[in-house]
Parts: sequence; C-alpha cells; structure tokens
Amino acid sequence: MGKIIVMTSGKGGVGKTTSSAAFATGLALRGFKTVVIDFDVGLRNLDLVMGCERRVVFDFINVINGEAKLNQALVKDKRVDNLYILPTSQTRDKDALTKEGVERILNELSKEFDYIVCDSPAGIERGALMALYFADHAVIVTNPEVSSVRDSDRILGVLNSKSRRAEKGLEPVTQQLLLTRYDPERVERGEMLKVDDVLEILAIPLLGVIPESQAVLRASNIGMPVILDENSNAGQAYLDAVGRFLGEEVEHRFTSAQKKGLFSRLLRRTA
Amino acid sequence: MSIFSFFRAAPKASAVQAKERLQIVMAHERVGRSGPDYLPMLQQELLAVIAKYVDIDDNKVEVKLDRGGDCSTLEVNIELPSRDQIKAPVGKDMPVSKPANGSAKGEDKDPPKAASALTNGGVSKRR
Repeated sequence: MGKIIVMTSGKGGVGKTTSSAAFATGLALRGFKTVVIDFDVGLRNLDLVMGCERRVVFDFINVINGEAKLNQALVKDKRVDNLYILPTSQTRDKDALTKEGVERILNELSKEFDYIVCDSPAGIERGALMALYFADHAVIVTNPEVSSVRDSDRILGVLNSKSRRAEKGLEPVTQQLLLTRYDPERVERGEMLKVDDVLEILAIPLLGVIPESQAVLRASNIGMPVILDENSNAGQAYLDAVGRFLGEEVEHRFTSAQKKGLFSRLLRRTA
Repeated sequence: MSIFSFFRAAPKASAVQAKERLQIVMAHERVGRSGPDYLPMLQQELLAVIAKYVDIDDNKVEVKLDRGGDCSTLEVNIELPSRDQIKAPVGKDMPVSKPANGSAKGEDKDPPKAASALTNGGVSKRR
C-alpha cells in the first residue's frame, strides 16, 4: 500500500508545487515508485514545473470521469526512473473533484506506487480539502512571514478535523513543517522570523528549511525540479528533507548566514 | 541617517513584532475553532442567574473581552439597582424557571459574536 503525502499550506505562492515536484523527484531518486498529482484543477502548473507540459494528453479529471484509463493519463518522467506525474485539467473547475472519484484513483495508485504526492491548491476549499482528505502524511509548506504562518496554522486545524483520518478516528495525519524561502541574513538582521519562532508557533516537527535561492526560478524556467540541481543550496536542502522524511538523521543546513569577509561586506555597502 | 539616530534606542526588530502578533492572534483563533463556543451561553446563563435575584436593567450590563498575550479577561459589569429594588431571595417553593420579577432579562440579550475566548493563550498548546 502506497503512502499518501499532501503538500499543503493554505496560502498561495509559498512553494507547494516547487516542493511537490522536488519531493516526489527525491523519493523517486531513492528508488521509490512515486507519483505526483496536481490537485489545482483549472490552474494546472505542476506539468510546467516538472517539464512535461507537452506530453499531457489526458488528466486526473478525465480519469475520475472515466474518460481515460489511469495509465493513459500518467506521464512518465524522462529524467528519473520510478517517477510519474498525474496532471490536472485546465478547463474544468474544482467541483470535478468528487470524494468518491478521488478515492478510487488513489486506491488504484496505491496498489502500484510507494508514494503518492498530492500537490494541493491554495485555500481551504474543495480542491485543497480533497488533496488533504486521504493523506497519511502532511508536509506544511510555510514561508517565514506572518500571513503564511497563520494560514499554515489554519490548515493544521483543517487536517485535525476534516481529514479522513480525523473523521474516522484513526491515527492522525503526521504533520511536518517545510520552511521555504528562508533568508538567514535577513533573519540575522531581525527582519525575518527565525526557524525556531515558526516552530514555536506552529508546534510541529521540522522537516526542512529551504533557503531562498535563485536556483528555484532557474529550475522552473527550464522545467526541472530544483532537487536535480545538486549544486544549489535549495536542491541540497530538498535532498536533506527527503532523507529526513525517510527517517534519516540529517543535520539542518543553510539556516545561518555565511560569514562574510571584510571585502564582500564593503561591496555590499556600496551595492 | 543622522548622527543622532545612533543614540536613539533601536526599535524592536520587525521579526520580533511579527512573532508576538502571531502568537496573540493565533492563540485566539485556535480557541475559536476547537469545540463549541460556550461563551455566549455562559453569558446568558450568568445573567439569568443574577436576574433571578436582582432586577437587572439590560442597558446597565456591560460585557468586555480583553485579549492579551498571556491571558484574556472576560469582564461583566452589572449595575445593581438601589437597595429598595432588590428582590427577596427566591424560595424553594418558587418555580425556578420563572423569576419573581418577570422574565430573565439576560436571556433575550444577543451576546457579542466576537466574544469567543476565555482562556489562557497557550500558543504551544495544540488541541
């Protein structure tokens, strides 16, 4: 039975899709058969971030409606073995996601895959609720910023009350924090919430801290999950986070500012 | 940047303010979403009990909720009527549901909807 992971946040633009793409790719790199599903019906974007937008024929909604077979809609990644993408529809809306339909597809996928990564849309409406409803694990993607932290707390409340596990009284969905767009230099200047501040407020375990990095935009420009850019801080931070998710003890990196020499300090002054 | 600003006390770092604001607002939001909202009921019942013994003027009941970082206070100020207006205590033979002096005025009061917190703001605590 495959495990279902939801990448969720409440707030938009914090890096759910980037993280879903990176995380799914990371799990596949570790040899797990992984599928990543786009739940953002009507605003399809995972295909672009994964670089498979030109190979989409059928989508998640087609499969729910019985218009296509699951295997016809799954797009196999060209770079990483064991990695598949299930894109969503761009023309339909979130009402096309029925609980029964989603459950049927997830059941079918979990027979074949080790991990199913659900890329949630922003908000707390149908799309987001469907993405988290069947989850075993939730990765809460948060920026160190007040509105993102508040929305993350809200979504934690939803997970604790409206997920399948909550409704059926099963063991709760595990919840881990992925803090993205972290800028240690701004933290040191007192301009950004510290990792510890966010952890104290949200009170869930830390899966990883992804530093603010130009590599993220570069990667999405070319349709490559940033985790494949192993030279970048962000790529390495995602690799670490995947390791931690799999139970390994990996020390946190990129959480403190690099010590700067006098020369670069002077340069910064004039910049 | 003038030379004098060097001597001024540094303002609180914005990240510190962010944390404090989040802690306060989220403590209350968490309380608001967990379990039934008992506060309006509590207010109604408190007023009903008092109305049983004292003739309360609805306009002289003041309910204030103060949300602080560590704790919140619910303040109910009821102005009691002058001594000669106070009712005799309700005896055992009197029907409890019908106070001596007509209806319990507290019951038809519409309690403020925002009043949702009467607890400590335990931020690290999750239901």
